[in-house]
Amino acid sequence: MPEPIIHIENVHKHFGRIHALRGISLDVKIGEVVVILGPSGSGKSTLLRCINHLEVYDHGTITVDGTLLKTAKDINVVRREVGMVFQSFNLFAHLTALENLTLAQRKVRKRSKAEAHKVAMELLEKVGIVEKAHAYPAQLSGGQQQRVAIARALAMNPKIMLFDEPTSALDPEMIKEVLDVMLALAKEGMTMVVVSHEMGFARAAASRAIFMDEGQIVEEGKPEKLFSSPTQERTKLFLSKVLQI
Amino acid sequence: MPSDGFFRNLGRVFSKKPPDLAEQSPAPKLDFILGAEPREKLDPWWWLVAVVVLLAVLLMAIKPDPYWNIFLFVRDGLAITVELTAISFVFIIIVGLFGGLGRIAKNPVIHFIATIYVEVIRGVPLLVQLIWWYFAAPVIIQDIGNIIHFDALANYRANPLFLAVVGLVICYGAYMAEIFRAGIQSISKGQMEASRSLGMSYMQSMTYVVLPQAIRVVLPPVGNEFIMLLKDTSLVSVVAVADLTRRGREFMAAHFNPLEVWTLIALIYLILTLVSARFIAWLEKKRKY
Ligand SMILES: Nc1ncnc2c1ncn2[C@@H]1O[C@H](COP(=O)(O)OP(=O)(O)O)[C@@H](O)[C@H]1O
Ligand SMILES: [Mg+2]
Repeated sequence: MPEPIIHIENVHKHFGRIHALRGISLDVKIGEVVVILGPSGSGKSTLLRCINHLEVYDHGTITVDGTLLKTAKDINVVRREVGMVFQSFNLFAHLTALENLTLAQRKVRKRSKAEAHKVAMELLEKVGIVEKAHAYPAQLSGGQQQRVAIARALAMNPKIMLFDEPTSALDPEMIKEVLDVMLALAKEGMTMVVVSHEMGFARAAASRAIFMDEGQIVEEGKPEKLFSSPTQERTKLFLSKVLQI
Repeated sequence: MPSDGFFRNLGRVFSKKPPDLAEQSPAPKLDFILGAEPREKLDPWWWLVAVVVLLAVLLMAIKPDPYWNIFLFVRDGLAITVELTAISFVFIIIVGLFGGLGRIAKNPVIHFIATIYVEVIRGVPLLVQLIWWYFAAPVIIQDIGNIIHFDALANYRANPLFLAVVGLVICYGAYMAEIFRAGIQSISKGQMEASRSLGMSYMQSMTYVVLPQAIRVVLPPVGNEFIMLLKDTSLVSVVAVADLTRRGREFMAAHFNPLEVWTLIALIYLILTLVSARFIAWLEKKRKY
């Protein structure tokens, strides 16, 4: 069995008196797509943000691609291997779509202007938005912005992609265009950790679904299994609410 | 730290318009109809500048004695005022930038120093600070020179212009730091996080992502500070700098015509501030993304 590319062991995180993560352990193997779901405030975002050290965990260990985050000399070396997509897109507002994709390639990967440009255009093509290369974020729809954001993360050639509710800020008609991009990415074998309540995506792409509540992993399993026959009461309750919508 | 990239982005913010936006609004051809110029072409407040300039020119043309004579006399003071403002402003921006970064720094020592600086300086009147730098600071320097037996320091003679710049920069830098702090904090945290998640360092993220956006926010208050500074340079006239105000006082002392002297001096300051205000308004309009 291959070494897990993300190894999380007994991680705790406090925000003042809030105990946001209460002993999370989780392994993600290369090429796996893991979907995390759970009620608001259950610690899903915090867990994701701990994986690329945007949040510093208090206790436990997280190893990403062989590097232990706590002792990492240069956290930026880890981060460039871990792409992150946010609920609110967070495109750089003063840069065009193209420039959003080239900035970190130039500054972090030290690519030449021509090379960064080439990679960027290929990725914009891939997410189906190449005609908007010179548009500013404010001129793009939410779905377009999120696709640019995915392309921006991919431009760094990450080994892992983290998605934090990538479609929950989108109008319904735009959700599909973003999920399609994610689906294609999963098919290519990208290692992905996705916080999302999109059951369709989880069924189609995820190798594992994880249900979190109150900072703990309550239950995990194959998506079909978890969704159709959850064993825990909390999972059942949550799924009944989500599936109603 | 605000390295080449910051200034390149600064240039971009001022210079570049999104092509789509520019295409969407073809300027209507109204150039010949008086008062119907498109707003972004001619700032309507330029007429006020024109009126004040005209007034000053008329005074000097119709009554060259004393107005033209006054102007000739205070000319070098006007140059000092403009130079003092320009040089101080450059350093104020730099001090303000670092002060603002210090105010939001996680490092408690840097945060503490920046906060003390801002709080202390903002609590003392500018005039008192200028007097302190001119009369008190040299005493300290001489005392230190005497203690360490270093003649260059012991014989230090106050350089009025230099100490005036120091006083203005230290004082205005504190206010500018607060403007930069607020501007940086107004940029959503997600911008910094997205940048960090791509592997860019804190400084890279500040330089290429946060500050270029903050410029847009801070430009109006920074412009305000510039105009306040321009006017406040008149205070340096009490610490031996021969600026516009001091030259006016010298002329009045020699010719006893306060009405003419101070009317003209006031008009000159007014022209400087009005032109600056128009220029700032033009900059604000120009950089939009
Ligand atoms: N920066 C923060 N400061 C204080 N509390 C936080 C912060 N981020 C998250 N929390 C708290 O931690 C808990 C988990 O939050 P989060 O991970 O965002 O949950 P989820 O993403 O599952 O909705 C919540 O109670 C939330 O209020
Ligand atoms: Mg969340």
